[in-house]
Amino acid sequence: MAEPILQVRDVCVDLVRAGQARPVLRNISFDLAERQALGIIGESGSGKTVLSRVVIGAVSPPLRAVKGEVLYRGANLLEMNRADIQRLRGKEFGYIGNNPGGTLDPTIPVGEQIVEKLRAVEPKLSRKEAVERTITLMAAVRLPRPETRFHEFPFQYSGGMMQRALIVDALVTNPAFLIADNVTQPLDVTIAAQIIRLMHDLREDFRTAIIFVSSSLAVVREIADDIIVLNEGEIVERTTPEQMIRAPSHEYSRRLLERIPRIWTAEVKSVAPPTDRDRAILRVDDVHKTYRVPDPSRFFGHNRVEAVRGVSFEVKAGENFGIVGESGCGKSTLSRLLSWVEEPDKGTIHFEDADIAKMNRRKLLDLRCQFQLLLQDPYNAMPPHMPVGRIIAEPLLVHRQGSRKEVREHVLEVMNEVGLAASLYESLLVGLSAGQRQRINLARALVLRPRLLILDETLSALDQVEQSRLLEIFERLQAEHGFTYIFISHDLAMVRRACSRIAVMYLGKIVELADNQTVFFNPGHPYTKALLSAVPTIEQRRYDTKECLLEGEPPSPIDIPPGCSFKPRCPLAFERCWNEEPALIERQARGHSACFWANATEAELIDAARTGRVRRDSVTEPALPARAAAGE
Amino acid sequence: MAFVLTFLLRRLAQGIVVVFLVSFLIFALLRLIPGDPVRIMLGTNVSEVTLEQKAQELGLRDPIPVQYANYIYDLVRGDLGQSYLLGESGGAAPTAQNKQGGQITAEAELAREAEIKTARAPVLKLIGDGLPFTLQLAGLGLLFTFLVALPLGLSGGLKPERWQAKLAFFTGSLFISLPNFWLALVLILLISSKANLLPSIGYKGFAYTILPAIVLAVELAPVIIRGLSVSVAGSMQQGFVDGGIVRGLPWSRIVWRHVVRNASIPMLNLFGVQIGGLLLGGVFVTEYIFDYPGIGKLTIQAVLQRDFPIIQGVAILAAGVLVLVNILVDLIATYIDRRLKY
Amino acid sequence: MTAEIISAEAPARAMRGESMTRRMFRQAWRMRGFQIGLAIFAVLVLTAIILPELSGTTATKPSVKERFLPPIFLEKGTWAHIAGTDQLGRDLFVRSLVGLRNALGIGIASVVLMFVLGTGLGIISGYRGRWVDTILMRITDAQLSVPLIVLAITILGVTRPNFGTIIAVLVLSGWPIYARVARSVTLAERQREYVRGAKILGASDTRIMLLMIAPNVLPPIAFVAVLDVARMMIFEALFGFIGIGVQPPTPTFGNIIADGTKYIVNHWWIPTMPGVLLIIALLSINLMGSALERARNKIFAGA
Repeated sequence: MAEPILQVRDVCVDLVRAGQARPVLRNISFDLAERQALGIIGESGSGKTVLSRVVIGAVSPPLRAVKGEVLYRGANLLEMNRADIQRLRGKEFGYIGNNPGGTLDPTIPVGEQIVEKLRAVEPKLSRKEAVERTITLMAAVRLPRPETRFHEFPFQYSGGMMQRALIVDALVTNPAFLIADNVTQPLDVTIAAQIIRLMHDLREDFRTAIIFVSSSLAVVREIADDIIVLNEGEIVERTTPEQMIRAPSHEYSRRLLERIPRIWTAEVKSVAPPTDRDRAILRVDDVHKTYRVPDPSRFFGHNRVEAVRGVSFEVKAGENFGIVGESGCGKSTLSRLLSWVEEPDKGTIHFEDADIAKMNRRKLLDLRCQFQLLLQDPYNAMPPHMPVGRIIAEPLLVHRQGSRKEVREHVLEVMNEVGLAASLYESLLVGLSAGQRQRINLARALVLRPRLLILDETLSALDQVEQSRLLEIFERLQAEHGFTYIFISHDLAMVRRACSRIAVMYLGKIVELADNQTVFFNPGHPYTKALLSAVPTIEQRRYDTKECLLEGEPPSPIDIPPGCSFKPRCPLAFERCWNEEPALIERQARGHSACFWANATEAELIDAARTGRVRRDSVTEPALPARAAAGE
Repeated sequence: MAFVLTFLLRRLAQGIVVVFLVSFLIFALLRLIPGDPVRIMLGTNVSEVTLEQKAQELGLRDPIPVQYANYIYDLVRGDLGQSYLLGESGGAAPTAQNKQGGQITAEAELAREAEIKTARAPVLKLIGDGLPFTLQLAGLGLLFTFLVALPLGLSGGLKPERWQAKLAFFTGSLFISLPNFWLALVLILLISSKANLLPSIGYKGFAYTILPAIVLAVELAPVIIRGLSVSVAGSMQQGFVDGGIVRGLPWSRIVWRHVVRNASIPMLNLFGVQIGGLLLGGVFVTEYIFDYPGIGKLTIQAVLQRDFPIIQGVAILAAGVLVLVNILVDLIATYIDRRLKY
Repeated sequence: MTAEIISAEAPARAMRGESMTRRMFRQAWRMRGFQIGLAIFAVLVLTAIILPELSGTTATKPSVKERFLPPIFLEKGTWAHIAGTDQLGRDLFVRSLVGLRNALGIGIASVVLMFVLGTGLGIISGYRGRWVDTILMRITDAQLSVPLIVLAITILGVTRPNFGTIIAVLVLSGWPIYARVARSVTLAERQREYVRGAKILGASDTRIMLLMIAPNVLPPIAFVAVLDVARMMIFEALFGFIGIGVQPPTPTFGNIIADGTKYIVNHWWIPTMPGVLLIIALLSINLMGSALERARNKIFAGA
């Protein structure tokens, strides 16, 4: 066994605030061998981010290392002077965090910054050589057109591309080890899967060891040889991923394992799809929305961003309808249209058989009481300067329902229903956790007793435990009050658990619409399959990543070419796909799919993929500003 | 490239509108406020008839929009008009009153009219004469300002909890509490009269610029100190600072290349908007107090004497300069931070 | 960056309901600069209110035998006239205090007015957008390109300057900054999720502007307002000095100093001492204002 390059010995770290010290890490010890891939798993609050920084010696106030050493090839990082450790960080360590957009200077091109780091570390390198090496590496991480990318600015990169660029930045000096802290969390599922595969592949070419930190065992298992489980600052288990899944030894690990949502092996209760006889509470007919965005590269030019291109569906009373998709698919715009914050350019939306567009102000105001929208961001969805009780009471105040006493009573009642302590009535939002905030959000939505609730990524900012709890509350409330829910999310595991019918969106259209079982076990659209194959899971994968995984990024919603929008990345694309755009075709196997292969048999599909009756386009790239404008 | 052109076109067009707006405002304001310039020009011993005649001649009895239209017409041909009161050499123009008092005959008056008309100085020339002095004062003032404000502001922003920030903050507070005219008096008293180190009133050489420049600097420095501290401190909070640390960039590089660069954007903005205005106002008053022969003194005298053409001319100049500076500043900002384009 | 790490790991601590503005004041209260400034200011204001009443007519009544008395720290100075007397024998300290009263009155009144006017217009402009916004922006541009001095002299140089006209001119020149800041805060807040949420609820625009946006506009502007009181006081003094301020015999800093300028060589205290009092007053206000600013920065950085 080779000498470990990194030895962490008995490290204890405290958080010092206002004179009080709170332990964050205790007795952390482990080794990292050359070329080893080590995974560190922990929930939020476990100390894993602090640990990832300790390992590169980045312990600065208010954090303080009170004990232990971090030995890199014998030298203790915790006692080094600033200049030495900076040199090590540049040359021997690579760090990639979970804030890809904010790591680089926004005013200098990405490539230049990588070169800057490289030349600071290897001063003898000429600029030409540095640029060459950077571009070569950018190609290796599959950044499309690296020569152009080199000169672009951070804001022109999408999240996935930025992570790749940061990987380049980390690897460009051929470091001894790399730390990836929660790098896949901000990314879309398919992009994250690509990044993981990329890191996996790169290990072959570089001598780098990897420490991969995450809260998701499912993600870590793809990369790590060994894992460490962290709970409240202490290591509770050291094992391998497979061992962990099969037979965890520590109590905490067992609980962690239990909480991971099962997609493929779970029994999904109460997701019986509604029958056709049930009333439709919401009907969306051929809705379109296009934005005009100024194009800075042309004189007074504008680009057309087609965010939603002809979406139609029905939501029955009492059901849970799910809308899934990745960035750029249009689901945010759709949620704005559904809640009538913006109006569609074409098409209609009917709420209980009444066309919303035709409603006058009075009726529209009434409508607002009938259905509510809950937003994702628990930190921005509510005014920070109002106390909790006031926030929840706001809808009642706006619609002038009830006297002050009645309002207060009602608010407290609702707070009780969602599990908020009555003592929080006077508190400000500052200092409350994400889970609590979302409950306040929920309470505010419930207070008018709506019939329909649209949940736009409402649970995405929460961890597993909170998500579970909130989902339970949703279920309970639905049983009591008969709510209808529309879940808009990118989290397939959550949707699998909660929704009876699911619509999959891609580039402004619904490409698949079917009940839960069908979508997951017999999808009709290749995109759905690819999406499902990319979802991290600890179970046996149903769809093989290698076969289904997509290349490249979703194309931009600007000036979408004719034909099927999925064709450039589709393994099954053929001539017809270039000329015609498929509508939602009803399948024999239940559900609808917008693909010409919708009713093909398994054998036909395999045959088509193999005989090469397919033609792939070159991978297209997103134009970020437009996507940003469309609110994705 | 296309972007720069669209930007310039759009902003210049808006800028011209602004300049017109300002000039019209001043123009109208002057004429609406009581006080007849013709009377000041010709003195009190002049008949009503002559007064009216003169006023008609100068176009002061036309409706205001008509006056304005004539003014603009002359303006675009480069003629800013002539001072009502000042003569070619800058001194007072010969008025009807200069001659012996008593009743003056009509012909004598007319004769004097001709004389007066040719002797009044063109505004353009007056401004041209004063501009170099003012520029010199402004330049030296800015230099002094930066000498003090740059180090204080930078260190205040880089180390917000240490003594540097406290020093910056106190200096700023102190300077901003000193009224410029009071400071001028004290400086003149101490340095000029008592210690005889520097001259103060009027202008007979470069040394005369120093005291006024110091007063100007004391006025401007606090704004720069505060602006710089805030923008540098703000930059330091950004993600890329920590990003730079974990990536192993040398600290000096992080600060001097990245933080300063990012901090310069809000600073530029400050420059365009605030400093322009402050500088202008400050220069005017300082020149007046020190009897410094620049545009400021010219303007203030003009206002006190109701010399419309000079006031209008300077207003247009000032507005135009500010507009241009703003455009320039915004353009540079988009060059530094490309996001601003989008 | 460390703040993010910590907040992700720290336990939740709710805070008693308190608006942002009040928190800002509370923070500032704890700062030394603020305390010193407030103390000095309070003392000055009290003295300015009480002392002139007590000393009766020494402020305006000339007294031949007490002319040109030097201040206390020079020889021949007496306690009866701490700052000395002027060319007419009037006590400088008391005169300055009366001047301070007037200055404060003008300063505070003008700032309150420009604050309300500017902030209101700024919020409306930022919220409504489109051409209302563009027009307002161009007006502020135009306004900002006219230096206050020129405007002031133009107007005050001809009309008879009194408290009303002076305040009007100050307000006219000062409101654009408030409008601009209010507007930019409004633009930022308008995008925030909770405003969108409120609109979905059906809240009217006025409601949103008053309840949601205005409270967030206050903190950045509050300290500007305090500092502006000092600034307006300086301008008021300047106007007086040039001759377009409140006219004598009402004593203001401007005309006291202006009158005394000719005596500066042999009796330097006549124009200088009133200035010192003004500076002390201004310093105290500026200390408070700067403390508020630092408090606000701390709050926004997540204290």
